[in-house]
Amino acid sequence: MKILTTVKKVVDVELTMHVEDGAIVEDGLQYVINAWDESAVEASVQLKENNGAETTLVSIGGGDNTDMIRRCYAMGIENGIHIDDPALAKADASIFAKVLQKVYEKGDYDLVITGKQAQDTDSGQTGIILAEYLGVPCVSNVIAIEVMDDQHIKVSRVGDAGTEIVELELPAVVTVDVSINEPRLPQMRGIMMAKKKAIDVMDLAALGTSDDEVEGATPKSEIVEFMVSKTRKAGQKFEGDAAEITAKVVDLLANEAKVL
Amino acid sequence: MNPLLMSLLLIVALAIFGRIMYHKILLLMALEPVNRFNHIKVRLLNMVILAIGQKRLVGRKKEWIAGIMHAFIFWGFCILLIRSLSLYGEGFVKGFQLPIFGNDSIIGYLYIALKDIMEGIVLLMAAFAIFRRAVLKPERLHNTWEAYFVLVMIVVLMISDLLLDGARYNLIMLYNNPDHLHFFNNPQYGSEFLWTPVSVGAAALISWMSADVTGYILVGMFWLHIITQLTFLNFLPLGKHFHIITALPNVFFKNLEYPHQKAKLLDLEDEAAWEDESLGINHIHQLNWKQGLDLYTCTECGRCKEVCPAYITDKPLSLHEFNDKLKFELFDNADNIIKRAKLSATIKEDGDSEQMKEIKARVVELNSKKQLIGDVIEEDTLWACTTCRACEEVCPVTIEHVPRIIAMRQGQTLMAEAYPKELNPALKGLERNGNPWGIGYDKRADWADGLDVKTMADDPDVDYLLWVGCAGSFDDRTKKVSTSLVKILQKAGISFAILGVEEKCTGDFARRVGNEMLYQMMAQENIETLNNYKVKKIIAACPHCLNTLKHEYPQMGGNYEVIHHTEFIDQLVRSGKITLNKSFQGSLTYHDPCYLGRYNSVYDQPRSILKSISKDGLKELTRHGKESFCCGAGGGRMWMEETIGKRINQERAEEIINKHVENVAVACPFCLTMIEDGMKELEKEEEIKTQDICELVAKNME
Repeated sequence: MKILTTVKKVVDVELTMHVEDGAIVEDGLQYVINAWDESAVEASVQLKENNGAETTLVSIGGGDNTDMIRRCYAMGIENGIHIDDPALAKADASIFAKVLQKVYEKGDYDLVITGKQAQDTDSGQTGIILAEYLGVPCVSNVIAIEVMDDQHIKVSRVGDAGTEIVELELPAVVTVDVSINEPRLPQMRGIMMAKKKAIDVMDLAALGTSDDEVEGATPKSEIVEFMVSKTRKAGQKFEGDAAEITAKVVDLLANEAKVL
Repeated sequence: MNPLLMSLLLIVALAIFGRIMYHKILLLMALEPVNRFNHIKVRLLNMVILAIGQKRLVGRKKEWIAGIMHAFIFWGFCILLIRSLSLYGEGFVKGFQLPIFGNDSIIGYLYIALKDIMEGIVLLMAAFAIFRRAVLKPERLHNTWEAYFVLVMIVVLMISDLLLDGARYNLIMLYNNPDHLHFFNNPQYGSEFLWTPVSVGAAALISWMSADVTGYILVGMFWLHIITQLTFLNFLPLGKHFHIITALPNVFFKNLEYPHQKAKLLDLEDEAAWEDESLGINHIHQLNWKQGLDLYTCTECGRCKEVCPAYITDKPLSLHEFNDKLKFELFDNADNIIKRAKLSATIKEDGDSEQMKEIKARVVELNSKKQLIGDVIEEDTLWACTTCRACEEVCPVTIEHVPRIIAMRQGQTLMAEAYPKELNPALKGLERNGNPWGIGYDKRADWADGLDVKTMADDPDVDYLLWVGCAGSFDDRTKKVSTSLVKILQKAGISFAILGVEEKCTGDFARRVGNEMLYQMMAQENIETLNNYKVKKIIAACPHCLNTLKHEYPQMGGNYEVIHHTEFIDQLVRSGKITLNKSFQGSLTYHDPCYLGRYNSVYDQPRSILKSISKDGLKELTRHGKESFCCGAGGGRMWMEETIGKRINQERAEEIINKHVENVAVACPFCLTMIEDGMKELEKEEEIKTQDICELVAKNME
């Protein structure tokens, strides 16, 4: 089985982002692998270890992704492709899916595993659009993958009310939730071996496609502005006599909040 | 008496003993090298104080009776060695006299008097030891036939020698046997029996025997003594009584740096090391020779487990069993280890590659067939240790348990990648944001907002760097400690700054769980930052940071003068830079953090500060100072669940509760969390307040 896993480099959301003139301030930010994609990588590696599979990852854009890709190598991924092209600067999910379609078609894969969403945009579309382009079945929000035979897999997906078990014929696309596994921490041995492995870096031309083919590099959506979400104001704490506090609270509700 | 028999006995006994010892020494020489032949004077002094002086046996208040018992048996044996030599001489030549200790010298007479009394004392002590084992049964002792057998042999040795002298006395005094039965009879100092009251007493006990029987007793006791002694000698290396031979050298060769042997700074890029699996301890042959000698020397006295927080709370870690298992694995593989070392020595880097490959393959085949972790030592055992070092402080023969455990964890983490996966979030947090909570590194200095604290970037010329630590920066409770510390430093007018967002975890916990890669990453980045600012003096607000900065960063080129905040506050008080009010009300006790006390010998300064503020003085916990009890968070345990046995923090919290105090002072953020959690879990957080010394000082200074 050949598995293609997609990984995206995202801003470390543990850091506080600052926006100036509608753009994110890059200074002080650091980039990490998208947590959902890290789970996708772990799921691919586990399939490789348990059932035997060839694992390849692909990342798109974001400049130099060497560190992230090597980290995935150290986790157990065997091959890495990085697509970088100036034409992708303003790409959205539909463009990414188109590029992934090209990668998929070059590699003759049986299964695509993506994170169900990315930590930065939370849009959750890429994997699903890819399946649409490829005309293959897709299950999203997957929390378990089981190989039935060469042609079929069984996946579990969570919903509000419970779990759905779905059997899929390959090739297929699944998008996974972070709860599918606890990604391993790459260890030194893997990191050392990863250093020696090559990364297949290519632009769109090398991928055998062009701007035009990826929808003329015209995204279906465009980011016009970033805004920092408002943080909740600190609450007020009252101490002392219950009757006094009640009177004070009522007063504030009536006169300051004007809700009474 | 009988030169032929004596020769025969000596040749057989010494040949067997020589062979056993030769093999044991060969095995040690086949283990990994470590230099323990430096600082001879210090080593001799250690040997005199710890081994000959029996410091940790006699000096331990809790068990001074057992300590005295052991010490007298040991001293008795040392004294009796001279007597034994003269008896061996007597076996060959009748009337044999040792030089200096002979018949014509007062030294000889003083010696026989001392020897006589000592024999009586050793006899009493050995009898008490048997009684103690059989009747009193201290929990730490693990009762075996071997222990009784050795004690009985000691009794036989004493009785036989006393009866030998007693029989000689009776033959001389009661049956007018010729004078030549005297070993000592100098006209100036008189008959030896004027000097040996115990032997004379023994003589009285057998005075009812006839002359003939007494004669037989004399000869019988002589040979019984000699044979028992030679049997004893050969029995020693076979079991835990090997310590009688190895304890002195073990103390002599003890580690001199730091409180114990520092974790090795591993070269993680050394490909040969990866191939040999020699990063950390993965196989029994990777112990160094001193660690082998430690195993020879472990007497299974159980003091280590008696103070071990893991053992006390029913974790599967019993250190003397740990030693025992390693010892048997070492002995089971002894021949292969020796062969392996010889074969390894023939590997030449520039040799014929095919031939070398073959030798290497043969070397690997000689590895133990057992997995060191898994088959010999269980995983839960290895990970139960909190690295608190209580075991090392009480071990009478200075065995170092913790460095071995860390090295095995290095092996597990680096080579086998088989460490508790629950550590991953904390390790990942370190990797990405330089703190085990994984909170964005950019928030590291948020606690100091509005406190008017400079960063090194603002002013690199300050006198001190305040090393806040991850807990002090990110943990809400500990942030209050940081704030208090800042208030104190500002009050005292100290010129200081923090690194702010440039500070990262020192890597302490990564190193304790064997993740040398992450430790080195953290250390390297921190050292670069510190050296860049030319930092010289550091005040550390966490004993774990203190320990790593002070003792482990020098391995990587980071050399600073580091002191803990309690030491610094104590200096401020003494120099009058801050004045404390004796205004703190309510009973107060102090919990010693392991990494401040046992690792850095800071015991007095925190106490001195607390005594200066407390109206009611300071109440000591039962387990305090060197034998203080760990809070349960060291050695990376802070980031692991505690699912087996009782929770260590609750054990400690109970001890505090039972002291009926209203306040407990700590000096470490981990202890603060663990003790406070313990109080909450036992629903005592309202009655007993847990606070860092900084907080108490900030509230009680003028």
